[in-house]
Amino acid sequence: MGRIVGIDLGTTNSLVAYVDAQTGQPKCIPGPNGSTLCPSVVSLDADGSIIVGEPARRRLLTQPERSIYSVKRLMGRGPADVQTELKLFPFRIDPNSRSVIRVQLGDRVFTPPEISSFILRELKNWAEAYFGEPVDRAVVTVPAYFNDAQRQATKDAGKLAGLEVLRLVNEPTAAALAYGLHEKQRGKVAVYDLGGGTFDISILKLISTNEGDIYQVLSTNGDTHLGGDDIDNLLQAFVHEQILQTDEIDFSPHGELAQELRKELIALKHKLSEVESAVLRFELPNGKFYVHEFTRGAFEALISPVVDRTMAPVKQALADAQLMPTEMDEVVLVGGTTRTPLIRRTAQEFFDRKPHTELNPDEVVALGAAVQANILDRGVQNMLLLDVTPLSLGIETYGGAVAKIIPRNSTIPASAQELYTTGVDNQTGIDIHVLQGERELAKDCRSLARFTLKVLPAPAGLPRIEVKFLIDANGILQVGAKDVRTGEQHIIEVQPSYGLNDNDIERMLEESIEYAEQDFAERQTIEARTEAESILTATNKALANPNATALNGSERAQIDASIAALKSAVPGSDYKLIRRQIDELNHATEHLAELLMNSAVQSALQGKNLAEV
Amino acid sequence: MTTLPTATNPPLVCWNCHERTVGTHFCNSCGKVLQVPGHSDYFAMFEIPRKLWIEMGALEQKFLQLSWKLHPDNFVNATPEEREISLKRSSELNDAYRTLRDPVARVEYLLAIEGARKEGQNKQQAPPELLEEVFDLNESLDELREAKASGSDTAGLKHRLEAAEKNFEGKLKEVDAQLQGAAREWDQAIQENAGKDRRDAVKSQLNDLLNRRSYIRNLVVNVQKELR
Repeated sequence: MGRIVGIDLGTTNSLVAYVDAQTGQPKCIPGPNGSTLCPSVVSLDADGSIIVGEPARRRLLTQPERSIYSVKRLMGRGPADVQTELKLFPFRIDPNSRSVIRVQLGDRVFTPPEISSFILRELKNWAEAYFGEPVDRAVVTVPAYFNDAQRQATKDAGKLAGLEVLRLVNEPTAAALAYGLHEKQRGKVAVYDLGGGTFDISILKLISTNEGDIYQVLSTNGDTHLGGDDIDNLLQAFVHEQILQTDEIDFSPHGELAQELRKELIALKHKLSEVESAVLRFELPNGKFYVHEFTRGAFEALISPVVDRTMAPVKQALADAQLMPTEMDEVVLVGGTTRTPLIRRTAQEFFDRKPHTELNPDEVVALGAAVQANILDRGVQNMLLLDVTPLSLGIETYGGAVAKIIPRNSTIPASAQELYTTGVDNQTGIDIHVLQGERELAKDCRSLARFTLKVLPAPAGLPRIEVKFLIDANGILQVGAKDVRTGEQHIIEVQPSYGLNDNDIERMLEESIEYAEQDFAERQTIEARTEAESILTATNKALANPNATALNGSERAQIDASIAALKSAVPGSDYKLIRRQIDELNHATEHLAELLMNSAVQSALQGKNLAEV
Repeated sequence: MTTLPTATNPPLVCWNCHERTVGTHFCNSCGKVLQVPGHSDYFAMFEIPRKLWIEMGALEQKFLQLSWKLHPDNFVNATPEEREISLKRSSELNDAYRTLRDPVARVEYLLAIEGARKEGQNKQQAPPELLEEVFDLNESLDELREAKASGSDTAGLKHRLEAAEKNFEGKLKEVDAQLQGAAREWDQAIQENAGKDRRDAVKSQLNDLLNRRSYIRNLVVNVQKELR
């Protein structure tokens, strides 16, 4: 079995983390450029390969029609759900999309789980390069307020990325785990998590028992389409309007110009968290410059609708937990957007308590995911997380009403049984429609699935079928049915309303091989070979240097032997052997490297190997 | 005081070691999590008697203690069969805690497992002594809807409805008090090991009170919806 990691699959950035076995502390894994943040951007190259992260983010400007950001907003949603988003985000939705959205990148179409799987695969690669070992299992975080379809889509993405998703963990809960480990907190904790595209509030109780610490979620609420993106949209709309007024330039939201402006505005937003005012200077196609000074006050006035929208869920979560704001022992702020001073102030005033911001708000969710991964890997056995389902589960009854069978904020796993029978003689099927949401009418709730219970012809009321609805620890629904009389299990085929079915997944798995990079060992071998080539070249060059004659005979013989050993290892596929020979050659050439150094810089360069000189 | 027998599951044959076991959650012979056929008795899960007064602190302690043992986190590396059982048992534990924690849900559950829960023949049917007030309330609600639709002044009507809402909320409190009284009678009947007739009478009383409560609660919710 390979390694296990925790992944924060974010709207704007994604991260991967693990728990260090020595220290017991979670740690984020950096990517090739040294940053732990992987922008959640995917781009399709002209040659058909997939580009993820920072390079893809740069392509948002140069090749917007081949690139996509904030795909998390599309997870588990149908085409009709996203019409409002389309006005604000440059998503190119394939017009032939039916229940599952398909996004156009260049000349290809992809589902949101596929695009997310590219991001997960990139993070998997980061972790494998870091460990030098394969990674095959992960805990992936989701917004607490994600519904069943959004959770299922996230799990599908993991599968498509070649990861076994051991658990989906709610983001605010993950943050609480990370903080709990960090601060050894106790009591009632409110986690306010405003990320790039989603908002969650969770109320937790941290309990010490003889067996260990229990993190019990009492209630959760949120908005899966509210975040920093919305602040950017408000800023952008404001500037578009001004430019339209003064220069009569109309921005198409899809164009390069809009993307460029958005980039500038995001930088401006970040600056305004640090300083009291900042100037935007943006070159227009007509050669003129749009110049505007934003004070923090004006900025806060502009974005206050977003902050206000977070407060209704906060109040509802507290009401559901039957607690007052001032009864919280701790308040934790999570998500990059909570760096905004207005949000810190708002939270502090509402809870009458200084919020915790000690842990990096971008990293804390990934760190918590790593903690849960370690729990599931049984590295830690004295921590237990009890989470809740964010939305009530219901079934449609007569007249389009909804009967709630599992109330929101029930601890998961949770279940409910319903008994069904026929209404007319010889009826052969009973239609069942499962929904999620708080509204009373089926049409106002989220449709999860429909299925038909098949029954043998019999007088009305005689068949008795018990249907069991179970929400598992991931917050995902499972349905089972059995005949009460015979005790026989019923096979039911549940057609998800907004998800991929097993056939879709199967087909995508096959297709994904086309995009999948080489497997782990192959990638390691290629990297090791490249490194071997460069050290061999450097060594040959160094040996040709007149100063190399100062080497003694045995040193020279050792270097030659190491070169020969490395050369013979390179064509093979044993990357570990290649690495070992590289290390050996590096070791053998230490004196050579010293000889070649200018005596003036010698001290500064001590300990470097040949390739670095 | 006599010691009460706690509710228990009938003896089982362990799915794993095939021994007969009297354990509640785990086989007392091989230690594996037990598969309980059909539905678990929530009172039995917590090893408490079928009484309506429950000490909340003790219930929570027991819930947390069982969560440690039954939660799917403990079974990640177990066989698929054991994982399945853990999922079922831990969901039942959560269902049981959710139900027993809530005083009204607790009564409903008790009546259901005692086979004594009968919902009103017609949920829409008002209890006779409330008929007049309900009639007035519905009239006011209709008037308010009409006034809202035609855009005329609703202040007076709202005032009247607010008064009605208070009145029914008072009645809800009354029913809750009566329910508590009946619950005490039930516990006493259990304590004294009373005969079937006395138990049936209390159950029937509890059932009527539940129906009355749900009727009045619906009224209050409907009024609140219109007033919002």
